Amino acid sequence: MTTPLAAAEGLAAGRTGTRLASPSHLLRRLVRRPDGLIGLFVLVTFAVLAIIPDLIVGPLQTAITAEGPRLGAPSAVNLLGTDELGRDIVNLTVHATRISMVIGLLATIITVFIGAFLGIVSGYVGGRLDAALMRIADFFLVIPTFVLAIILTSIIRDLAGSGAREVFGIRFGLIAIVFVIGITSWSSTARIIRSQTLSLRERAFVDRARVIGAGGGHIMRRHILPNVINLIVANAVLVFAGAVLTETTLSFVGLGDPFQPSWGQLLDAAREVGAPSLGAWWYFVPPGLCIILVVFAFTLVGSALDDLLNPKRAPRR
Amino acid sequence: MSTTISGPDAAEPVASSPVAAARQLPKLADPAAPLLVVDNLKTYFSLEGATVHAVDGVSFRLDRGEALGIAGESGCGKTTTALSLIRLLPPNARIEEGSIKLYGIDLVGKSDNALRRYRWREVSIVFQGAMNALNPVHRLRDQIAEPLTQRLGLSEKAARRRAGELLELVGIPKRRGGAYPHELSGGMRQRAMIAMALACDPAIVIGDEPTTALDVMVQAQILALLEDLRHKLGLSLILITHDLSVIAETCDRVLVMYAGRVAEEGSVDEVFRRPRHPYTQKLLAAFPNIRADRRTLDVIPGSPPDLRHPPPGCRFAPRCPFAMPVCTEVVPPEVTFGQVRVACHLYPPGSDGRQVTTAPPDAIGATVPLVEPPPAEPPLEIAGG
Amino acid sequence: MRSNYLARRIGTAIFTIVLIVIVNFGLFRMMPGSPERVLSRNPNVTPELIAATRARWGLDKPVFPDQFVRYLAATVQGDLGFSFRGRPVVDILAQRIWPTVILFGLGELVAIVIGLALGAYSGWRRGGPIDYLGNGLSLILYSTPYFLIGMALLLVFATGLGWFPTYGMMTAGATHAGPIDALVDFLAHIALPLTAVSIGLIGQYAIVMRASVVETLSEDYVTTARAMGLSDGRILRHHALPNALLPTVTLIAINLGYIIAGAITVEIVFNWPGLGTLTVEALSARDYGILQGIFLLLSVAVVLANLVADLVYGLLDPRVRA
Repeated sequence: MTTPLAAAEGLAAGRTGTRLASPSHLLRRLVRRPDGLIGLFVLVTFAVLAIIPDLIVGPLQTAITAEGPRLGAPSAVNLLGTDELGRDIVNLTVHATRISMVIGLLATIITVFIGAFLGIVSGYVGGRLDAALMRIADFFLVIPTFVLAIILTSIIRDLAGSGAREVFGIRFGLIAIVFVIGITSWSSTARIIRSQTLSLRERAFVDRARVIGAGGGHIMRRHILPNVINLIVANAVLVFAGAVLTETTLSFVGLGDPFQPSWGQLLDAAREVGAPSLGAWWYFVPPGLCIILVVFAFTLVGSALDDLLNPKRAPRR
Repeated sequence: MSTTISGPDAAEPVASSPVAAARQLPKLADPAAPLLVVDNLKTYFSLEGATVHAVDGVSFRLDRGEALGIAGESGCGKTTTALSLIRLLPPNARIEEGSIKLYGIDLVGKSDNALRRYRWREVSIVFQGAMNALNPVHRLRDQIAEPLTQRLGLSEKAARRRAGELLELVGIPKRRGGAYPHELSGGMRQRAMIAMALACDPAIVIGDEPTTALDVMVQAQILALLEDLRHKLGLSLILITHDLSVIAETCDRVLVMYAGRVAEEGSVDEVFRRPRHPYTQKLLAAFPNIRADRRTLDVIPGSPPDLRHPPPGCRFAPRCPFAMPVCTEVVPPEVTFGQVRVACHLYPPGSDGRQVTTAPPDAIGATVPLVEPPPAEPPLEIAGG
Repeated sequence: MRSNYLARRIGTAIFTIVLIVIVNFGLFRMMPGSPERVLSRNPNVTPELIAATRARWGLDKPVFPDQFVRYLAATVQGDLGFSFRGRPVVDILAQRIWPTVILFGLGELVAIVIGLALGAYSGWRRGGPIDYLGNGLSLILYSTPYFLIGMALLLVFATGLGWFPTYGMMTAGATHAGPIDALVDFLAHIALPLTAVSIGLIGQYAIVMRASVVETLSEDYVTTARAMGLSDGRILRHHALPNALLPTVTLIAINLGYIIAGAITVEIVFNWPGLGTLTVEALSARDYGILQGIFLLLSVAVVLANLVADLVYGLLDPRVRA
C-alpha cells in the first residue's frame, strides 16, 4: 500500500506531458543517423582496445622488454616503428588507449556529477544561492583553467606523493589529473543543467508536487532529475571529449606518467626526443590520430544526441 | 527628385489630387494605361522535386488611388501574388506565366537589374511588424533615410530632413528619429515602416498583414493612418490580410483567393453584402458580428488542398456544399456581371448573378444567411504613438 | 543607459580579478610545506632573504587576514615573489611575455580576419562543395589539439620541405644585415607556430559566422532591404554583417581562455621563447613562484580581454545598452 503522498505524486507525474525517451529507443534512433552510427562505431572500437589491450597486442612493453631498434621506422616487425627505447609504437598506442579513456571516463563522471548536482540545486533553489553559484561557475568559465589545472595537479602530486598505488588500474599520480579536470570543468555542465531546471521548475507537475507538500530535495530527485537525465547524458558525451583533450594537453606539458603512458604522454615523449625535427612521424602520428578520431567521434555522437533531444526540433516521422 | 508633401488635401477627390498628378512616371510608362494590370499570373515553387502551384492564374487590376484588399486563408497565395509584383521571391520560385503591367510596362519580362528601378520607387511594401522587421542596430531616421540616399541620390542632409518630415507624416514626433527599433512600441514601429515605405513617393504600397501583430486599438489607428495617407498622397494600396474586417474598413475592392486562384472579386460593398462564391459566403459567415445576436459559427469542414497536386476542376469543390459533378472536372470560368467577378459553376457564363442551383437540404451549411453590411461607424481619430 | 552597461561589466571584471587573487593566494598557501620551506628549497636564496621574505609575507602571523592582506599588497605592488633562478618572478615574466603576446595576438587577428571573411562569404553563397568541405574540415580541426597541428606542420614544412626553421623566435647567434633582414628572419620563425594557433580558430569562426549570416539573411529587415532595391553588396555590408557579427564577438570572448592553453602548447612544440616554454621549465623544476605568476598574469589578461570584448559588443548592439 503506497503512502497518500506517493499515490498523489504518481498521479501528478503520470500527467506531466514530458515523454522520457527510453535509452534503448534513443540508441536505436541514434544508430539510424549516419553521424551517430559512425561515431558509435569508432567509440566502440576504442572501447574494445581500452578494455583488452593485452589480448590484442600483448603486455605493455617497457624499457627492459623492448626489442626493436631505437626510433626505428615502420617495418614488417614494427608496423608503426619504434620509440627511442625500442618499444613498438602499436603496442604503446593501444595500451595508451586504456589510460586516456579511463582517465577521460573518470574525469567525466566527476565533472558531470558536480555540474549536474550544482546545476539542479542552483536552478531549483534560485535566489542568492543561485547567484553565488553562477558567479563561481562563470569564474571557471572565464579564467584559463588550463594553467590552474597545471598548478593544482602539481601541488596535489607533491602533497599526496606518488607511488605505485593504483585506482581503477590507474596510478595515483594520474588520478590527480582526474580530480583536477573534474574540479575545473564542471561549469558549462552546471549552466546547461541549470537552464533546463529553470524551465522545468515552472511546469505544472512541479507545482502539483509542491502543493502536495513535497520537499525540495524530493522534488529535485524524483521530478527534476528524471527529466534532465537525457540532457545530462548528451552533455556527458561532449564532456568526455573535452576531458580526453585536457588530459592529453596536461600530459603533453609533462604531467603524464611514463610508466602508464597516455596518448598525450606519448606525444610529450615524442617531442622531447625531437621526433618532428628528426622526421620520426611514426612516433607522434598514431597517438595523434587516435586523439583526433576519438574526440571527433564523441563530438559527432554528442551533437547527434543533442539534435535528438532538442525539443525545438520535432522528429520527422 | 521627389515631390514635397504639402498640407492635407483631404477636400480634393483622390484621382485628381495634384500630388498624384505631379508624381513623375517612369520613362517607359504609358500615361493612358491603367496603373496595374495583372493577367493570368502563375508563380510556382520547386520544393523537394515537386512543383507547388502557389499562384495559378490570378488576374486583377488596380487603378490610381484605389485600395484593393486580397483576402483568403493562409497558404492561398495572396502573399506570393504580392511578392511576385516586385519579384521578391526565394530562389526556388519562378514566375511561370502571365504578365504584370505597371503603367503598361510588363515587369515579368524584365531582368532583375532592370526590375530594380521599380522597387520602392513605384511599388513599396510594409511587412508585418514583427520583432525584426526593422534592423535592430540602426536608428530609425537612418533606416528611413536609406532609400532616399541609396535610391534617390539625396545628400545626407536632405535625406535626414525628409526623413523627419516622413516621421511627422505618420504621426511620430521628429525627435524620436534617433531611437532604435527596440525602444519603440509595436504601433510606432509599424508607423515607422509606413514612413519608410513612403520615402520614394511610390505609386503603390503593398501592406502584408500590416496590422496582424498589433492589438485592436493600435490596429484601428494604423488603418486610419493608412486611409488618411491614401487620400493625402493619392496612394494606391494593396492590403493583404486574412482579416475581412480590415478590408471592410479600408478597401474599395476586394479579391478573394482560394488555393492559388481567384474565387471572387468586386467592390467591397457588393461582395460583402451579397457574396456569391460559396467560399466567400463561408468566409464571411465565419466572422462573428460583434453587434448582432448570438448564433453558432459556421465552420468550413476540411482543409485547403495540397498545391503540389491540386485537384482537377474547381479547387474548392471538395469542401463546397453546392458541389456539382461538373465542379470536379472543369475549372470554373470567370464570369463578370456589374461590379463583381466570380469563378464558380453556380454562375455559368451568361448568367445574371443569380445562383443556378441551391444546395441539397442536408448539405452542411445549406442555409447561408446573408451578411448585413456593417453599420456606419464614426471615423476614428489618429492619436499619437 | 550606456554608462550602466559599462559600470556593470567593469564591476564584474573587478569581482573576477579579486577571485583570481584569492585563488592565487590559496595556491600560495597550498604549496607543499609552508611557503617558507619552498624558499629554503631554493638554492639561490640567502638566509637574510628568507628572514626578509618572512617579515614581508608575515609568515609568522595568522593566515587570514594578515597574510592575505600582505599578499594582496605585495601583488598589487608587483611583487610576485622569487623564482628558483634567483630573480624576481615579475622580471622573468616581463622578459618572456612579449613573444607570447605577439604569437597569440597575431594568431587571433589572423583568425578573426580570415575566419569571419570565409564565414561571411560562405553564408552569403550557401551550398556548394566548398561549404561542405569547409564544414567537415573545421569539425576535424576542432577535435585536434593545437600542438598536434604544430607538430605536423613542423614535420612537413620545416623538417620535410625545409621551408621554415624548426625552433625559436630568431636564428640563434645570427647577425642581421638590417631591420628588414631581421624581420624576415622573425617572420620565417613565426610562420608555422602562427599557423598552428590560428588554423583551428579560423574553422570555428568561419562556422559560427556562416550560421550567423545565414540566419540574418532570413530576417525581415533584409527582405525589406531587397524590396528597396538595394544592391547585394549594400545589403550584406550594411544590414547583414553588423547583425551577424554579434554572436561571433561573443564566441571570440568565450574562446580566449581556451586559446591560452593552445598557444602555450604550440610554443612548446616550436621552442618559442614565451610563457609556454616558461611554464614547462617551471613545472619540471617545481618553481611554484613562476607558475603562480603565470596563472595570475594570464587570468587577469583574459578577464581584461573579455571586458574589451564586452565593450565592443556593447558598441555593436544597441539593445544591450538599455
